[in-house]
Amino acid sequence: MFKRYLLALAALLWVAALSAQDYTGGVKGTIVNRNGREPIEKAHITLMQGANQLAVVESAEDGTFEIPNLDNGSYTLVIVAPEFLENTVQFAVNDGYVKNMFNLSLTSLQQVTDVDDDSFAAFDLDDSGYNDNPTILFGSNDVFNNIAGYNFSSVRFRARGYSSESQDVLLAGVRLNDAITGYSPFSLWSGLNEAMRTKETVNGAEVSDYGFGGYNGLTQIFGNATNVRKGLRGSVMTNSQLYRLRLMASYATGLMDNGWALAANISARLGGNDWIDGVYYRSFAYYLAADKVFNRQHKLSLVFFGTPGERGAQNSSTQEVYDLMKDNMYNSNWGYQDGKVRNSRVRKTHEPVAIVRYEFTPSDKVEGGATLLYRFGHNGYTALDWYDAQDPRPDYYRNLPSYFLDLENTDLGRHNDMKYGWAHEVWTHSKDYPHLTHLDWDRLYKVNAEQADGRAKYIQSERSVDQNDFNFSSNVKWRAAQWVTVTGGINARFNRTEYYQKIADLLGAQYFVDIDNFAEREYASQPWKLQNDLLYYLQNGKARELKVGDKYGYDYLAQVRNAGGWANGEFVVDNFSANVGARIGYESFWRHGLVRKGLFPGKPRDAAMAAAWENAGIVATEETSSGASKKAEFLTYAAKLGLNYVIGGNQRVYANVGYFNDAPKFNQVFLSPRTRNGMVDDVETVKTFASDVNWQYSGNGINIRTTAYYTTIKDQSKVMSAYDDLQNAFSNFAITGIDERHMGVELGFKMPTYLVENLSLQGVLSWGEYVYTSNPTMTQTVDNSAETVMDNVLVPYWKSSPVFAKDETGGLPTDINTAQIVRWQKHYVPSTPQLAASLGLAYNYNYWFIDADVEYFDNAYLDMNPLYRTDYATAGPDNMVTPEEIVYMTAQEKFDPAVLVNLSVGKSWYIQRKYQLGFSFNAKNLLNNTSVKTGGYEQTRIVDNTVSKSRYYRFDPKYFYMSGINYMLNIYFRF
Amino acid sequence: MKKIFLALCIAVAAFTSCQSFIEEWQPVFTFGNPGSDAEFKLYTEAELASVGFKGSFITIGELKAMYKSGGIELLTPDIWIKGQVISTDRTGNIYRELYIQDETGGIDVKIGKSSLYSEFSLGQWVYVYCTGLTLGAYNGMPQLGMEPDNTSTNEYETSYIDVQAIIDQHVFKGAKAAPVAPMAVKESDITAALSKGYTGELWGKLVTISGLKYDNQIFALVYPNPSMDHKSGNPENRVFLSDAGTWGINTWALSKPTYISLIQNGSFDTAQVGSGATRYGPITGRPIDYLAAGRVLDSFGPDADLTYKEIMVKYAVANYVSHYFTLGKTSVQVRTSGYSKFADEKLDERIAGGSSVSITGILSIYSGSAQLSLVDEPSVSVKVE
Repeated sequence: MFKRYLLALAALLWVAALSAQDYTGGVKGTIVNRNGREPIEKAHITLMQGANQLAVVESAEDGTFEIPNLDNGSYTLVIVAPEFLENTVQFAVNDGYVKNMFNLSLTSLQQVTDVDDDSFAAFDLDDSGYNDNPTILFGSNDVFNNIAGYNFSSVRFRARGYSSESQDVLLAGVRLNDAITGYSPFSLWSGLNEAMRTKETVNGAEVSDYGFGGYNGLTQIFGNATNVRKGLRGSVMTNSQLYRLRLMASYATGLMDNGWALAANISARLGGNDWIDGVYYRSFAYYLAADKVFNRQHKLSLVFFGTPGERGAQNSSTQEVYDLMKDNMYNSNWGYQDGKVRNSRVRKTHEPVAIVRYEFTPSDKVEGGATLLYRFGHNGYTALDWYDAQDPRPDYYRNLPSYFLDLENTDLGRHNDMKYGWAHEVWTHSKDYPHLTHLDWDRLYKVNAEQADGRAKYIQSERSVDQNDFNFSSNVKWRAAQWVTVTGGINARFNRTEYYQKIADLLGAQYFVDIDNFAEREYASQPWKLQNDLLYYLQNGKARELKVGDKYGYDYLAQVRNAGGWANGEFVVDNFSANVGARIGYESFWRHGLVRKGLFPGKPRDAAMAAAWENAGIVATEETSSGASKKAEFLTYAAKLGLNYVIGGNQRVYANVGYFNDAPKFNQVFLSPRTRNGMVDDVETVKTFASDVNWQYSGNGINIRTTAYYTTIKDQSKVMSAYDDLQNAFSNFAITGIDERHMGVELGFKMPTYLVENLSLQGVLSWGEYVYTSNPTMTQTVDNSAETVMDNVLVPYWKSSPVFAKDETGGLPTDINTAQIVRWQKHYVPSTPQLAASLGLAYNYNYWFIDADVEYFDNAYLDMNPLYRTDYATAGPDNMVTPEEIVYMTAQEKFDPAVLVNLSVGKSWYIQRKYQLGFSFNAKNLLNNTSVKTGGYEQTRIVDNTVSKSRYYRFDPKYFYMSGINYMLNIYFRF
Repeated sequence: MKKIFLALCIAVAAFTSCQSFIEEWQPVFTFGNPGSDAEFKLYTEAELASVGFKGSFITIGELKAMYKSGGIELLTPDIWIKGQVISTDRTGNIYRELYIQDETGGIDVKIGKSSLYSEFSLGQWVYVYCTGLTLGAYNGMPQLGMEPDNTSTNEYETSYIDVQAIIDQHVFKGAKAAPVAPMAVKESDITAALSKGYTGELWGKLVTISGLKYDNQIFALVYPNPSMDHKSGNPENRVFLSDAGTWGINTWALSKPTYISLIQNGSFDTAQVGSGATRYGPITGRPIDYLAAGRVLDSFGPDADLTYKEIMVKYAVANYVSHYFTLGKTSVQVRTSGYSKFADEKLDERIAGGSSVSITGILSIYSGSAQLSLVDEPSVSVKVE
């Protein structure tokens, strides 16, 4: 009873505000699935007149809705529901009657319902600076996002070439992008597809009711109990790309008469896959939520969820390794232990999230909400670590045939046929030499066992990132008048993240010692300098002997605070609407070292410590590893303007423009947070200008959206860490002043073929140019000392590299002074195809659906390493730069284009109109194309030991490849 | 309906079970081939038959006698030697080499891997299948390695055995045993060995030499920019620290920090840039200043405006140092790597003061002179008498 009362209220929501007058006219109907006429619950139906939004109602459990109190005239209904394409319907109210629209159907997009968020997980490469987080395209009502989101995910497509951190992801109104990296946080709820299914998305620079957003869209995930589909649902899924088995169940009461709604969702994802050995899941997920609707004004939501589990990670390798193994899916992370496969790199996470949200609707004109969200727990990533022992990685460059023979380049001095022959034999007969072509766990255990003192040579460490992330957010929407609506909000974040390393497995040894290997190479005679925990050393006279679970190496806090507010006004005049919004905020962050490291002890904190240091011969340093660093503080702000014109109800033309001044992230500012407090000097805010123009059509079963966009991003910074052969030391490269320009067009459409009933044609095109437009500067430091190796050195070949005129022999000229530059080749933003297209057919009939698509991807590029693009690297050791050196060192690799074919089939059955049973089967990459690079990066290392001593050479780049043919079969039932 | 449901469930079960998914749930899961134990097997001589041993060894002395100038690839079938490990790379002074010895001598087996001490313990027996390897020499000291790299500029007679599959076919671990006691050596033993050249039985053995006196002389060759060409053909990138006492060096070698500090405190200020007859001037000068010396000195590029001292600091690395001792009338160099963990350890002041010392290390012949390499820390290897 109570529930019906509320539904009635919801239906009337706003409508009362339409006019002070009473009209007898109205509109009603039933929202159904075009495929099977199944009613759709909780579809959002927006009543428009021109650009004027008159009312928003939700369809009831049986799909029905009604909007009363309408004057005579022409109107438009915009119907939106999760997993369906938007539909727009025009109607007229005449003579004061209620217009009955009967069944209004939505076209389903069933193929996207079971995309696993983990298929978008970042490739975990730690320090390399390589970041491959694709953006996930949602948008239940957007034809482009829906088709591209599913079809392009396998090539790790990034919308408009933007990085992941530019995509705002809100959970219950809280922006939950990672506080330290900015990455989108989908892994927090992967496996909870049912609980997190209800989303609301805006594209590009549009403003959402829930947040101001940036320039790469905003996705609000509701996540509360009433947004979980009512009833008991279960599914069994197997797939060949990620894991063998997923079991999922959910139960939701819906809103009960007592005002409560309860929901639960659990899942397990288990097993390996067909393509990448060593990658496995053992992940679980739980979700509990309760909503209490006290009355029309007050509603409280409580949510608690987590996804405990672990998964084995994939690694990248060079093309040489892939070719030798005849397998582009080779994964160097695993090896045999006692005859069993074991992955050395395992992501172990359990980061629960607790949410309390209060929603307040004091009047028909005002609604708002406030959320407290707390994320905590553990996020660990295991890795092998070793002390004074051979590098255990099977694909270490000194183990590969190319290290022994290179006939094409005699300057490398690699001319040993026998060694090459044996190395080649090993790598081409992997089954006969599994201990050499994969990790040899048995050897690691045996080396440890050989140590008489029980000290471990090899261990498995766990690099941990434990967050305490406390968020507050509040948003309000005020319909001040029929022609103006104001939305706004405030938010604050307190993030304290502890970064540390702990012993995960001693591999049979009794202890490991907490000293810095790299420091020992230089400062062996000064044992205090080797200490990761200097105070322990001073107290005990030796480094700590570590057991499983002990922290070691580094331990520091990343402290992040931010707060801000935003407001947006939307103004409507007939068919025209506009919105103007602004955001302002403050962000600060700092590092706080929890241990004092011997290399950077800082200054003694008191006289007693000073005396102890003097006794031990410890020299104080300006740079310190311990205590709080100085704060990085930023004033952030942004402004947006949107214009929208509705043409005839089915079409609209709209444009957005925005300017954003955002703070850089913690991981882009600290030079070497594992060792010290040092920061990049004069770090700047990131300035982005974004604009887009769009045309959209929806109606008569046709959905089209086309967009042109132009964006500039300036003053980005980045820190990479890698071993530098020229310094013989672990180095940090801080790059500042990276500018980009992104421009292009997007088109998405779905329309009937008109030739065969129930057969639609669908396609998307994303064609852009994402280029670097500046030559940044780079500062290089090493972990072993505070000295700056390169200070603000220009990276002159970052945005482009020269193309030289050929000389009379048809080759490159040899003298840089007389060489003619024909043009400068642009360098591109990497890791996504800049041309992506999909064309397909979709057939829906009698609860069957069949989708078949062909896709084409091109203009994808390799992630560049700035060191290769300095004068230092191009000049070589002889300091004589030649055109050949410049071309070799600075050119950017372009990936080959790729064609893919995908097929999806599904069917569902209704049993006694109460139960639903169905399946969906998706097969991707039917052509079994295993040579599609989805990303990769250049190593930072340089070959400097050459015969001529006149130039440097690159190390081979590392790549990731897309899986070959793979399937997903999902069987679901709903009660 | 039920049939369809049943069929679907069976399909899922079939997909999953045939992939042995249950085991894949585990962090350690099973498929494929087991690993190899070969690297860690401790062979008895009888068990060596399983890897092709025909039943007889030659001595290390006999092996070294097979050496011919320029190096020789050992093609005769079934050449096996055995010996006990006398080197460790734990202290970093011996690197990518394993010395084994028997009664007739010792030899450097150039296993091109680091941290060999983690796998070969002092005194452990090691069997080496020499056929297919190359016997060469470095400045007169025999070594067992691989055929040299086939380059026109190659100056070595052997190369490292650094392919694990090759090591596995040629080097076999045997029983562990107590470390070999160093052999006490007198001046006459050394002079006798020197007279025999590379066949001297002492070379490659662990020895203790008593009665050594410090000569207050060192030798080090440093390269201002080690990345640049620093062969003898490019003397502008060579600085000899020799013929003038110890150059302020009172440590066993030059670690990078010590090297920098000595440059900065002026200890090397009088050292000359150049080698042989070509000497440009002291390191306080700049490359650009030495253009007048008649050579093109533009390879330092923008660094040409810096002084050599500044260049040496900018590109500093650790460096070898040879300390000269005398035993009676025979000179013995103690050569130590700047990368050894005891590089910064100071020579006992009594050594410079003229006390005689006994030093334990691996004795080798280097360009006709005796050279000692410390295996252990000086606190263990060097005793003031």
